[in-house]
Amino acid sequence: MRAIERLNPIALTIYFLLVSGRVMFSNDPVLLCCSLMGALALHFALHGLTGWKTHGYTIALFVVMALMNPIFNHNGATVLFVMNDNPVTLEACLYGLSAAGMIVAVLYWFRAFSFVMTSDKLLYVFGGISPRLALLLSMTLRYVPLFGTQARKVSQAQKALGLYKEDNIVDSFKAGLRVFSVMVTWTLENGIITADSMTARGYGTGRRSRYSLFRWRTEDALFLILSLVLCALSAIFDRAVVYYPLLQIAPLTVRATIGYVAYGMLACMPVFICGKEAVKWRVLMYRM
Amino acid sequence: MMVIKNKRIRDIMRYVIPCVLIPLLVALGATVFSAKRHLLISMGVAILAVLLFFAGFERKKTGSRRLVIVSVLTALCIAGRFIPLFKPVTALTIIAGMYLGGEAGFLVGALAAVLSNFYFGQGPWTAFQMLGWGMIGFIAGLMGGLLKRHKALLMIYGVLSGVIYSFVMDIWTVMWYDGGLNWQLYMASVVAALPHTALYSISNFAFLWFLAKPFGEKLERVRIKYGI
Repeated sequence: MRAIERLNPIALTIYFLLVSGRVMFSNDPVLLCCSLMGALALHFALHGLTGWKTHGYTIALFVVMALMNPIFNHNGATVLFVMNDNPVTLEACLYGLSAAGMIVAVLYWFRAFSFVMTSDKLLYVFGGISPRLALLLSMTLRYVPLFGTQARKVSQAQKALGLYKEDNIVDSFKAGLRVFSVMVTWTLENGIITADSMTARGYGTGRRSRYSLFRWRTEDALFLILSLVLCALSAIFDRAVVYYPLLQIAPLTVRATIGYVAYGMLACMPVFICGKEAVKWRVLMYRM
Repeated sequence: MMVIKNKRIRDIMRYVIPCVLIPLLVALGATVFSAKRHLLISMGVAILAVLLFFAGFERKKTGSRRLVIVSVLTALCIAGRFIPLFKPVTALTIIAGMYLGGEAGFLVGALAAVLSNFYFGQGPWTAFQMLGWGMIGFIAGLMGGLLKRHKALLMIYGVLSGVIYSFVMDIWTVMWYDGGLNWQLYMASVVAALPHTALYSISNFAFLWFLAKPFGEKLERVRIKYGI
């Protein structure tokens, strides 16, 4: 897990965009399965066997999404049965399954992305676009927890003053509004003080520089190049899949197989990196 | 690293993106690509629009006080998204746009979307949320004077922005799922999202009703007191 968190954030962002973007614009069932498996494996590698509630929601979402298409889309030549004078076709069912699988796979990729991209990495990536924006972001990210603590303090003070009872809905609603109003005044004033203090320390006098923990290492460059090449390979050797009016899949050629292998490797890269570290650790422990 | 330090490159970005890249993408989408690519194009346009805005932001000399107030409002939006059911994000974005100008409104909306999604789930929809909330704030800034004078207009704008935001996000959901825009699916998703749309509009209305005036007064007070 540490190994993947040490990778350069820009390389990581590009990797996640490639791996999820490739599957988003494809309706090839084999590719979808590869992607789903890679994403799930990464999820389990990062979190272990936890988060069953989320998995449950995701499965429910999958079922609803898969059913949506055959109910509302009546394209396709093979009619399975007729419902309310509307034909339900095999092709629409298959398309629904594939679209739902795609959405679930992308959700898992983005979940892993959010987990791996902590706020310092986010700042690093955004800082590349604009240093001022990075400053704005870092201040905002700092304010969110600060507001939480301050709001708790204000509400405790009001409770201690006896301004509201907890068991009264109107009272607690009013209290909520009052706390919010106090918070707004406090945050604005606090913000101004921060700004003045920044100006006094010379903010805006020179060109903005920034400090970051991340550098480009050979591993990062390798990781980035490998993911670009693999994604390009799988995009070039795309296998055409047409759902309507009849399911038509291009024959499995050597080229298509190369595309699949490339995408499979792309999807497995993070798990491989995590796994390598775990194996190394085990071996070292064993030798001691 | 990849900081766009060069002022000229940023300036070039500001002209090339709206005049060349976005029309090119749309034209390509209309002629070359098949239906499945609409999603790619709409996503590309959304990301470019947000990038364009950020490039312009770096160029301008914004005072540090203004900068801090924008970040404070964004943080309030993010904290507000934790309130169950009623979300003040749109209302706060509108207020920011109204009192601090369109640029601040756009920044508050777009940044609140991308940052809060780190708590609520990042996804391909982030680009659209950024653009959607950003535009709500930007337009509120353009109509700032009008909205400040007529409360009825402000309420209508709040409710409408909730409804239109929801409808646009539904278009995107259907395009993601179906590849093209299937009208029946679209209507189905609009109907399925109706409770959310209603909740959005009601919370926009309620928050604007209760917050617009006191919040505006507070912002004005800070503005007069510290001379921003």
